[in-house]
Parts: sequence; C-alpha cells; structure tokens
Amino acid sequence: MHKIWNFHGGVHPVENKTQSNQLPIIVMPIPAQLTMHLSQHIGKVAKAIVETGDYVLKGQLIACAQGFVSANVHAPSSGHVSAIADRTLPHQSALSGPCIVIDTDGKDQWATLSPTANPESLSKPDLLNLIQAAGITGMGGAGFPSAVKLQPKINIHTLVINGAECEPYITADDRLMREYAAQIIAGIQLVQQLIDQPHCLIGIEDNKPEAVAALTYAADQHTNIEVCVIPTKYPSGGEKQLIEILTGKQVPHGGIPADIGMVCQNVGTVKAIFDAIILGRPLINRITTVTGKAAANAGNYEVLLGTQVADILAFAKVDLAKTSRLVMGGPMMGFTIQDTHTPIIKSSNCILAAADLELAPVADHHACIRCGQCEVACPAQLLPQQLFWFAKAEEFEKAQDHNLSDCIECGACAWVCPSQIPLVQYYRYAKGRLKTINSEAQLAEVSRLRFENREQRLVDEKLAKEEKRKARALTAAAAQAAKRAANPSAEDPVAAALARVNLKKQAKTNAATQKSTEDEYKELKTAAAITRTKLNKTRKALTNAQAQDHEQAQALQQTVIALTTKAAAAAAELHAYEAKLGLDPEKEKTLQLAVAKANGVVRKLEKSLATAENLQQLEAEIFNAKAIHEAAGLALEEHQANAKEKPTSTQES
Amino acid sequence: MQTLYLAIVILALLAIVCGAILGFAAIRFKVDGDPIVDQIDSLLPQTQCGQCGHPGCKPYAQAIANGEAINRCPPGGETTIKALADLLDLEAIPLDAEHGSEAIRTIAYIREDECIGCTKCIQACPVDAILGAAKQMHTVIVDECTGCDLCLEPCPVDCIDMLPVEVTSASWHWQQPEQLIATSNLPHSRGESDHA
Ligand code: SF4
Ligand code: SF4
Ligand code: SF4
Ligand code: SF4
Repeated sequence: MHKIWNFHGGVHPVENKTQSNQLPIIVMPIPAQLTMHLSQHIGKVAKAIVETGDYVLKGQLIACAQGFVSANVHAPSSGHVSAIADRTLPHQSALSGPCIVIDTDGKDQWATLSPTANPESLSKPDLLNLIQAAGITGMGGAGFPSAVKLQPKINIHTLVINGAECEPYITADDRLMREYAAQIIAGIQLVQQLIDQPHCLIGIEDNKPEAVAALTYAADQHTNIEVCVIPTKYPSGGEKQLIEILTGKQVPHGGIPADIGMVCQNVGTVKAIFDAIILGRPLINRITTVTGKAAANAGNYEVLLGTQVADILAFAKVDLAKTSRLVMGGPMMGFTIQDTHTPIIKSSNCILAAADLELAPVADHHACIRCGQCEVACPAQLLPQQLFWFAKAEEFEKAQDHNLSDCIECGACAWVCPSQIPLVQYYRYAKGRLKTINSEAQLAEVSRLRFENREQRLVDEKLAKEEKRKARALTAAAAQAAKRAANPSAEDPVAAALARVNLKKQAKTNAATQKSTEDEYKELKTAAAITRTKLNKTRKALTNAQAQDHEQAQALQQTVIALTTKAAAAAAELHAYEAKLGLDPEKEKTLQLAVAKANGVVRKLEKSLATAENLQQLEAEIFNAKAIHEAAGLALEEHQANAKEKPTSTQES
Repeated sequence: MQTLYLAIVILALLAIVCGAILGFAAIRFKVDGDPIVDQIDSLLPQTQCGQCGHPGCKPYAQAIANGEAINRCPPGGETTIKALADLLDLEAIPLDAEHGSEAIRTIAYIREDECIGCTKCIQACPVDAILGAAKQMHTVIVDECTGCDLCLEPCPVDCIDMLPVEVTSASWHWQQPEQLIATSNLPHSRGESDHA
C-alpha cells in the first residue's frame, strides 16, 4: 500500500454523486447540428480549414492548431458544414467565438483511420505527433493541450493520474474508470513510453470503490502502475493537491509539476490518448455527467463534442421549469449558463440542472469578520481574507505579492466563509485586472518604442532633406554661373534669387537662433492644435451632458467658453508668429500644389512616351513640363528659404 | 598629543579611501540618461496624445521631473496619478479637468471606402500605426493604435472613427461582486455577484 500524505485545508461538501453514478454510460444519439468551437483549449484559436458547404466525414480534421500551444479540431460526425460563424462560448462571459457548424446527415461515416497494432514500435516523436494530431487537451477542466504538457524539459520520475474527481455531483470519471479500466491502463503505458517510463500513481478518492477495484484489477500485471486510494476531501483533485497527497512533495509557488519531475494527467485524457494511438480516433466525444434534481434521467452520457446543451437536456429529460440554475461544471467551480445553445467542448465534464434550493442561493454577503476560517480551508495555503481585502481595495500588486496566482479558484474559502462573501469572484476579478494591467503595460512599451523610433526617423528625414536641398541649390547655382559666364548680359531673376539665397546660406552664422525659432514655431503649432482638439472634445462632452445632467452641463459650458478664448488666443499667437517669420502657409501650400501638379504632368507624359507615336513632339513636351516642374520647385525652395532667413535677418538688423 | 595626530591621520586616510571608492563607483556604475525621467515615462500610458499639453509622454515626463503637476494625463487617469505620486512621494491629486477626462480606451478605424489616400493621418500618428501611401486606401494597425485621436482632425473627409476596444473572450474578466450591505466601505458596486 502506497503511503498517503495530506494537504493543507480542504472542505467536505455533500457529495451528491449517487444521483448520477448508478447507471452505465449511455451513448447519446447524434444531434441534428454540431457546433464545434475553434478554441476548446487554452492557447491560440485553431484555424478552420473547411468551407461552408463542404461535406465532412466523422473524425476529419476541420481546424488546424495555430502555434505551439493550440489544438486541432475534428468533425464529430459526418455531414455538411452549414456555417462558419460566431456562436456563444461555454464560458462564464457568455461571449461569442468562432465556430464551425455541421448539419449532421445521420450516416456517421468515418474518415479513414490509421490504427496502430503494435504501439511498442512507435518512437517518441511519433507518439507525440499522434497525440497532437488527435487534438487531445486536458479533459479534467483547464483544457491545456496534452502534447505540450507531455514534452517536459527535464526528466520525469513520476506520472500522476488524476482519478480523484473531488467535486460534488460529477461522476463522469467514476463511470469512465469502471467501464474503460483496461483502456485507461493501456493509455497510461503509452504515456510512460513517451516520457521515459516513470513510475505511475493513480489517485482515486475512497468514495469510488468500484472504480478502484476495476483499475486495480486492470493494473494487476503492471509493477510500475499503482492505484492509490485517497481520503475524500475537496479539492484533492487539484493537480498540486493530488501531487502532495500522493508524494508528499509541494509544487513551488508559481511553478508547474514538471519542475519537481512530475506530470499529471486526467483519466479521461489517458483514455483519449489510447483512442488516438491504438484506434487512430481523434478526440470527438467525451463522457459528460447530467445531474441535479431537475434531471429525471440523471446519469453519464457519451456525447459528441459540439452537441448543444439543449439537446442533452432534452435527452436526459431535464425539466427546465423546475431548474432554478443551470451550471456547466460542478457546484464549486462551474459557471451558470444562460444560453442553452452553448455546445459541449473537450473540457465540459458536467451539466448540473439544479432545482430550487438545491444549490445555496446567492445570498447577501456581510462584512469580513476576520474569523480566519478561509485560511484554514485554503488548499493552496494562501491568506484568502487578505487577498479579498486587496482585491476589494484594488491593490492588485499586493494581491500578486501574496501569491494570488497560486489560487486555484476551488471555492473552498467561499464555502466556509460565515459572511458568505463571494471570495472567488473577487480573486477572479483581481486576476483579470492584473492580466489587463500587464497587457496594457506591454502595449505601452511598444508604443513608447514606436514613438521614439518615429521621432528619430523624423529628425533623420529632416537632415537628409536639408542636405539634398543644399546640394541641389549648389548645382543649380553652378549651372547658372556657367550660363552667366557664357552670356554675362542676361540676368536671370531666378538665378539671382538663388545666388542671394546661397550667399546667405553660406554666411549662415546664426544656426542656433534659427533652430530655436523653428522649435518655437512647432511648439506654437502643437499648442494651437491641442487647444483646438480639447475644445472639440469638451464641446462633444457638453452636448452629451446637456442631454442628461443640467449641473454638469453648466460647468462644461464654462470650460467651453474658457477654451474657446484660449484656442482663439493660441491661433492668434500662431498667426502673429507666422507673420513675424514671414511664413505664409497658404502660399507655401499653393506652391507645393504647383510642384506636385507639374510633377504629375511629367510622369503622365513619360508614361505615354512608351506607347506614343510622334516621339519628338512628346519629348519636347516632356522637356517643357520638366522645366516647369523645376521652376516650381525652385520657387518653393526660395519661398521656404526666405521664410527661414527672415527672422535671422530681422534679428541681425 | 601624539594620539591626536594619529587620530587625525587615520581619519584623513579613511576619508581618502572612502572618497576613492565612491569616486570609482560613480564612474564605474554611471547611469546613462536621466533615470528619473525614464522612470516617470515608464508610468505614463504612452498614448502620446498630447492632452497633457506636451507633444508626447516623454516630454511630459521631462516636465514632471522639472516640477510640473502630475495630474494632467487623462488617458492614465487615477491609476497613473497614484503611481506617479508613489514614485515621487507626492500627494495623489484628482485629474485636472482642463486637460480632459478619463474615458474608455478607443481605437481608430478608417472607413476604407471613403479614404481618399491623402496621407494626412499618417503624418499625424505619433506611433506610426497607420498604413498607406498617397492615393491608396489607408488602414489602422489596430494592435499598434494607442487611441490618441490625433488622426481625426487632419482627415479632410472625416472618415476615421474612434471605436471602443471590443471585449473578447481572451480579454474578458469577472467584475467585482456587487456590494450588498450598507456597512460596506466600497464607493460603488461594479457587477453582478453571480458566482456559481
Ligand atoms: S479559491 Fe483560492 S483562496 Fe480560496 S480556498 Fe481555493 S485556492 Fe484558496
Ligand atoms: S472566512 Fe470570510 S469572514 Fe472569515 S476571515 Fe475569511 S473572508 Fe473573512
Ligand atoms: S496626456 Fe497623452 S501624451 Fe500626455 S502623458 Fe498622457 S498619454 Fe502621454
Ligand atoms: S491611428 Fe490615430 S488614434 Fe491610433 S495612434 Fe495613430 S493617430 Fe492615434
């Protein structure tokens, strides 16, 4: 007999398992429609590889895993894809997510499968590939892709198989162990083969004697598989708790079992691994418990993934009028479902149709009296009341420092709390906020880098432009000089202007002053733009406020008036400054437009040159257009240069 | 008398040794840039919207380091003010309404069939989150957009919308439970307390 340890805390809620574990598993008939979610797992959403109207066979791959942490999705029965669209997710948010909807044809025709006769011959990569291809994810609750979990970086000495099923009402694993013991043992052997033959411990709570007997019998021949009976206590089925019970070792804070050389798998998952490798069948169905006082035919059903909750409820004769609350999962960790069209996914182990008063109603909660009972109950050895205060006061970082991330959301603390505080919801809220804060911080970091890169780029561009302009002006001046040398009498006004500009440029002594002028101008421009934006925003707010709240509207009115004067002042200041600089934005714009236009004409002519017949005329035209373009460019440059020179000269004079 | 001299000599030597160590450390462990400005900058939301009156978050960080008030950043709101107050050991003051109010995060979307490809919004975007070229349709890279609103004004055909960030199943999270009794000290309730 293997030695059993204990874990801190835990509670003993009423088990309520006999309602559903008396009858063998019943196979549910194929429903008319299957809704396959593309994210039934933790990680990236799978990508649909079929299209609306396609005919798919049972077991055919319909969506591909994306990236390392993701899982494939297969068609659970044959039929036509009727839609690829968003449907309600089996998630407490009741949001929608991408789905492939299959209208089944009832033929249930399998795709070609490739079973393996002698699995001993398979190499590790082969085994991993088969598990990955079958889209297997943890069937116990979290839905983490198994192929990822089974590629540990360090040597694994113990494989822990989770058959504890500690949550009240749920009996899916219980029935599975009773009826598929041999398959489970064979699945365990495959996993052992994959991760270097670790010793295997199967943990089962002592309230499931039949399951214990079945597995002990099936594991009889195998010396490195041990069935361990553990005392019934919630949440012994938590991964870290089960490991502590079976080995006495604790997974470090924030760590995973692999850190201490262990891997944990649910019994349902190893059965799925058996199906995938030995039978070649991907994960397309699961055992789901339907229970609660409102269910006339409570029991365990083998359902196809994607079956809607409504279909299952009808099949199990659930009286919806009697149901006060419909829960997916168990009473401790499950969530209420609003929409019965929500489909079953890989990790849906239970549907609980609770009649009136069966589950404690959501009661008014009172202030925390610091009784400390939650701390006694917490299996993760946290300080629940402390975490609660932090979550309530929105001190998320402090909650993080108190190992909030180690909370497994088991609900033991809330269950014992005499003040009936919904503690778990506080923790989920705090965890959610922390996640948002972290992702926002990441986004901010990206924005900061992009902003800095852009600033740098703008500076570089400006410098490069300046260089180019100078070089062009110089060559132009040289050409003009040469022309003048050849023909001294003709005084070209453009050339003269350019020469003047160049002279001034060369005598540019006041670079610093010029720069600061430019900066000042930019600042004024920004200020004017910002006041304008602000004014617009406040105006908008005012219109909103006027519709609702009179007092606030008055205050806003004041702000608008103040801002209007401010904006006017900023604009006036800007104009004055522009005048002082001799800048004329309007003129500059017209000139810019002229340049662009001329450039356009050149381009167009050049293009038609390729196909044109009277080449000579076109060439002449292009020559003309180019000349116009050049002249426009020069005029613009001169205008800009003048504007820049002016303040320098005014200061000089 | 001799002990006095000895004491003076020892103290002097000690002072020289310590001075040398400190001097060496100052050179060896020199921090590049202005650490306090960077620290302040890292607390600002990096929306780069200019509502604080500065052309970006970094300039505002610089201004705060030079003594400007810490309550001028509407996108950061209370959280940022609190963080800044913690860092600078100042009192957390309410947001300066003159610079705007805290609003939900939005992201720019260009109504692409109305875009005339003028590139004006590209020039306005402080984080280069808009993609496009002259006379081509433009589009916003939603993952990079900070929601600063700066691209709205320059658009000559008003084809840019600011839409609230959508809640997805990945970003959704539980709200704080509703406070049900009067003795509570929480200012307001936030969500439903439906906890299964
Ligand atoms: S929900 Fe979290 S804090 Fe409460 S008992 Fe469970 S692990 Fe501990
Ligand atoms: S059990 Fe409830 S009342 Fe007691 S300390 Fe914990 S949170 Fe407070
Ligand atoms: S107001 Fe805008 S620019 Fe200023 S610090 Fe805040 S986010 Fe940055
Ligand atoms: S796209 Fe518009 S709102 Fe988004 S960051 Fe750029 S300028 Fe700001």
